[in-house]
Amino acid sequence: MVFKNIICPVCGGSCDDVQVDLDTKNRTIDVQNACKMGNAKFQEVVSSHRILKPTIRENGKVKDVSWEEALEMSADILVNAKRPMFFLGSETSCEAQEVGLHIAEYLGAPADSNATICHGPTVMGIQESGMVGATAGQAKNRADMIVYWGVNALESMPRHMSKYGVFPRGYWTKRGRFDRTMVTADPRVTPTAVASDLHLQLNPSTDYELLSAMFTILNGKEPHPSVEEITGIPISVMKQTVEMMKEANFVAIYVGLGVSSSYGKHRNIEIALNFVKEMNNYTKCNIGALRGHCNVAGFNQLASYLYGYPFGLDFMKGYPRYNPGETTCVDLLREKDVDAAFIMSADLVNHIPADCAKYLADIPMICLDIAPCPSTTAADVVLPGVIDAMECDGTFYRLDNVPVYFEPFTDSPFPETKSNEDTLKQLFAKVKAKKEA
Amino acid sequence: MEALLNTGSTIDEGRLAKGGNKYSDDYTKECAVCWMCAEDYTALGCPGKVSVTSRDGKHTVAVYPKVTEAMRSGQVFIPRSIWANVVVEPDTFSTGSPRYKGSPVTVEPTNEEVLSAEDIVLKLYMGGE
Ligand code: SF4
Repeated sequence: MVFKNIICPVCGGSCDDVQVDLDTKNRTIDVQNACKMGNAKFQEVVSSHRILKPTIRENGKVKDVSWEEALEMSADILVNAKRPMFFLGSETSCEAQEVGLHIAEYLGAPADSNATICHGPTVMGIQESGMVGATAGQAKNRADMIVYWGVNALESMPRHMSKYGVFPRGYWTKRGRFDRTMVTADPRVTPTAVASDLHLQLNPSTDYELLSAMFTILNGKEPHPSVEEITGIPISVMKQTVEMMKEANFVAIYVGLGVSSSYGKHRNIEIALNFVKEMNNYTKCNIGALRGHCNVAGFNQLASYLYGYPFGLDFMKGYPRYNPGETTCVDLLREKDVDAAFIMSADLVNHIPADCAKYLADIPMICLDIAPCPSTTAADVVLPGVIDAMECDGTFYRLDNVPVYFEPFTDSPFPETKSNEDTLKQLFAKVKAKKEA
Repeated sequence: MEALLNTGSTIDEGRLAKGGNKYSDDYTKECAVCWMCAEDYTALGCPGKVSVTSRDGKHTVAVYPKVTEAMRSGQVFIPRSIWANVVVEPDTFSTGSPRYKGSPVTVEPTNEEVLSAEDIVLKLYMGGE
């Protein structure tokens, strides 16, 4: 049966035009419009490696158990820990993340999400400077200059250029790519850089210096000549770039981890945001983060709405605290500051530095996921995940913080649970029962 | 050779990771790879495998070298994956985000075996359990 306008639950692009032909008899799925990454995830609905049974690790051996036993053991781990950590990953709905946050609050635990190891510093930069933002649709219809700064859009959000950024024909950009100038700032010659009109191949970790030199030029001053050697970019090219921006009608800047993960972190973002504000004295200019994980923006929105902080929350004192560097997951694990972990819809062991991953593998860990990965290997309890936007409905936030409601085209393969939200609600009930017993 | 490590996505890394194939040979071939320029590769003696070591010398990972014009001398790139993260610095400069871009590393020729993602978890993180 063919389903149209399905939302892709893979990256922050949340493409809403995916067409799926699911053959339940022969267990095949044909996917149209999605990119390579999106297509791969849609194949998970019928894949042979899908995790279909809960497992637990007992004396070093992994064995299948019933849902009831797995949930019991998960609740035991969480209730018996002094300081369990919740990592509420981004490949699931806001609804599931919300229940996770409530469990963390109930247990007085820290709760974090992919933002912390993704655009956390970007969010901190926004807290410092505020952000001139726009929806992806605004950029599509108006932007005649696109800047990808520290992001390889073609490989991290493969359809960004074709759906929102560079190629689509918009109301004021009727000729698509021909109406747009594309600039990339990246130390590497990425496919995105190759497709650009101008590539600023700056030295690694010199984003701050380059941005402040361009800020100086924008203010009509001459930057210090040493900036050429530091950044590897001639001042004449910096001037040309600033001039191109000033002459454009609408500049859309997309930043990636190249800015927020390099030396300087949130300060890089802060100066980029200040540059954008200043640029608005000359032309329309906005900035946005290219968010690689599906619903990573959703956690920021949800946690800010519910508790006032976008990530790295800690409920230990009975009220939410937020102190990046102390209450964020990498720091908690590096400092061995937690004694159990609940990981949902994110392969944390794969994505964090060795010291943190090793400690995470040492402590009791519950992992909710759909396929075998380093986190499920290291976990003590594995709960099978339901695939959002394919097997259950819910809400994602797109890269530009626009909420997107998604509906499934098939059902959860588990009679025991309808969605990850449902699994977490069942777990919460068990946690409450044990805690209040 | 001392270098700055950059990590990030590649389309096939994304395809294999999102498709639940992190334990496949294809994933190892795509991600257990250290990109470098021809000049740096020659300076290392054109090895078949290289070890990448973190600045504090605590963590080392063996990967295959890949020569590419995408890189400049003194800079290396490993697709974001468990191999790269073995040597990424865990300090977050009070932001929560480790140094995925620009961790200083040492790259040397090696004869060590290139481990699969599963073996890295079992041998390096779970102590051979
Ligand atoms: S760009 Fe992102 S949301 Fe769109 S199809 Fe590809 S993975 Fe899915």
